Amino acid sequence: MAEFGKVTPEIVEAIKAATAPNRVYFGADIIEDFSHDEMTIYGKKMPDVVVDATSTEEVSAVMKIAYDNDIPVTPRGAGTGLVGACVPIYGGIVINTTKMNKIESYDLDNFVVHVQCGVLLNDLAEDCTRQGLMYPPDPGEKFATLGGNVSTNAGGMRAVKYGATRDYVRAMTVVLPTGEITKFGSTVSKTSSGYSLLNLMIGSEGTLGIITELTLKIIPAPQETVSLVIPFEKLSDCIATVPKFKINHLNPQALEFMERAIVDVSERYVGKSVYPKALDGVEAGAYLLVTFDGDSKEELDNIIETASELALENEAIDVLVADTPAKIKDAWAARSSFLEAIKSESNWKDGEELIDECDVVVPLNEIAPYVEYVYQVGDKLGLRVESFGHAGDGNLHIYTIGDDKISLADFKASAEQFFDDIYAEAGRRGGLVSGEHAIGSAKMKYLENSVGATQMKIMQEIKKVFDPKMILNPGKVCYKL
Amino acid sequence: MEILVLIKQVPDDSVDIQLDPSTNAPKLDGVTPVTNAFDTYALEMATRFKEANGGTITLATIGDDGAVSSIKECLAVGGDKGFLIKDDSFADSDPAAKGYILSKAAAKLEELNGAKFDIIFAGKEATDFSKDLVPAYLAQELGVPVVSDVIAVDPADGGLLVKQETDTGYNMIDVATPCVLAIQKPDYDPRYPTIKNKMKARKAQVPVLTAADLGTEADKVGAAGSLTKTIGMHAPAKKQAGVKIVPPADVENPIAAATAQAVSIMAEAKVL
Repeated sequence: MAEFGKVTPEIVEAIKAATAPNRVYFGADIIEDFSHDEMTIYGKKMPDVVVDATSTEEVSAVMKIAYDNDIPVTPRGAGTGLVGACVPIYGGIVINTTKMNKIESYDLDNFVVHVQCGVLLNDLAEDCTRQGLMYPPDPGEKFATLGGNVSTNAGGMRAVKYGATRDYVRAMTVVLPTGEITKFGSTVSKTSSGYSLLNLMIGSEGTLGIITELTLKIIPAPQETVSLVIPFEKLSDCIATVPKFKINHLNPQALEFMERAIVDVSERYVGKSVYPKALDGVEAGAYLLVTFDGDSKEELDNIIETASELALENEAIDVLVADTPAKIKDAWAARSSFLEAIKSESNWKDGEELIDECDVVVPLNEIAPYVEYVYQVGDKLGLRVESFGHAGDGNLHIYTIGDDKISLADFKASAEQFFDDIYAEAGRRGGLVSGEHAIGSAKMKYLENSVGATQMKIMQEIKKVFDPKMILNPGKVCYKL
Repeated sequence: MEILVLIKQVPDDSVDIQLDPSTNAPKLDGVTPVTNAFDTYALEMATRFKEANGGTITLATIGDDGAVSSIKECLAVGGDKGFLIKDDSFADSDPAAKGYILSKAAAKLEELNGAKFDIIFAGKEATDFSKDLVPAYLAQELGVPVVSDVIAVDPADGGLLVKQETDTGYNMIDVATPCVLAIQKPDYDPRYPTIKNKMKARKAQVPVLTAADLGTEADKVGAAGSLTKTIGMHAPAKKQAGVKIVPPADVENPIAAATAQAVSIMAEAKVL
């Protein structure tokens, strides 16, 4: 393990001098939240210092101090990650970016918005909506920072039509591990100008540099949206319908599949029941939730008619239409609450949740057999398993849930067995480790299994070029100390 | 059972609506018109009642041509036929005048249907102005009983057994038909239309009933027939920013110091 420098009182004073004394927290003044993200099962670790940064220059100044003193630095957004990427596993300094939350300006000639990295996705989405604009990436967690979204290349519901976060990043200001400030990319919409360091930064989980400012692409908001709730008796029929939308020139904005069990869990949590459980005497076993957008009601009417015919030809029990703001909101409320609903089901110790998850991505035609396989493995290990996912891009979120009958050690052991098996199976079916939650410290083993030693070595060498002292977010993505 | 469900088209209530300072009227540009949420609960309750006990649901709304979209929405989730009640003379009607117009509409619809209504369902209030009065005025005009805040209804002994929500629980009320029921949010949600019903509703004809069709008297509708008059609209007063209490950094017991500060602020404001 590399030898890191210690955070001394002198270093704390130097950080205070470079920022502001009332924005630097040390020792017992640091709140516990900074020791973990949303998945506490991957371990907690308190940092030695937390700095609320307010500008690129402050981030740079703190980074320089850390570089000069060999102190590990972990950049942090809203802490909503699911793979431990923002956990300071070697202590040191956490740079909290949530105070860098200004939407600086819109450039509507070039359709971009300039933001600081700590702006919340929800705040940008609402600000865009007020102006008839849309920032298309729509990850489930709306209270994540945009810096965090870019660092994980977050995907979300609308990725099937509009792409993931990567497709909307035009430029960024980055503080390198040495403290130098640099800019990658530009407002322009195309480039063939050397290696794309901009794209290397996207999804690098704060291991290559700290993103402080972003220029993001935006689009005019579609005038109309409508959602369809499509119940099926069988998951296999539900999934088999997905590619048929595309073949028939239907281009949904979002296309999610959900099994009956998780809809029941989520509706219980949300306190609303809007998904039909049985129609014409047939029990629903799975649902597609599809959203289309367009510029007029007439255009959408034609689209939903065609989509409905397709679904009914493919064994849908019926097709329900959500075409009012309230109905669309309610249909999506159940979907958006899956993670919280799953957490609420796990009443382990003193109300704490005991869950583990993965977000593999598999080819579309493998979704149904893969999910079936996952449940078989879960049953064999006696684990409760819930799954849902983005049917349009093959990205599955699979959860195991523990309860008070199991110890943490036993749960972790069973979960590891479970994930070892299902990650390997995803690989055999042509899948990858993570669709959108990233690697962090939790999924490194599976990344290595998936991409192999050569690619891991390339990633490690890239890391060294950016971060010769290996002090920025150590122990994440591609190398352990 | 013959059922009439009254609906109203209102601006989307999930949007924060501001007053336009130049006209002092709500700014509604770009706000989607929707069916009043309480009316959607009323229709869902009526539809469940119809499914259990048989009958026909007639829908009616006072509004402009744009309100036809709300009628069609409701035709896709339980309504059997729908009517738009529209006349220039109805503009500026208050709840009392609307109660009168709707009573005339109910009579006209009974004539067209060839049957009397047994139950008239309406939302307990509309989410735009929340006046909460139309069902009561309508019942008064018709001379029939009205129950407010209804969350369930079942047939019983030739009449109805109605569950009324109260602040402390609920009342069970026997009510004779015909009657007016003002519906509160029940413990279920309105259904989603199936695509088949949606397409059928899209093609449905929505006849218009005018003042001449209803035989309304000019001095009982519009401003002339209203008991109240809106003299102005005001945005709610903005809440003042809260007071942040930060105890001095050097005190030994910051919680006690902050509490003392809070108590002194409240004493100064004479709330203690």
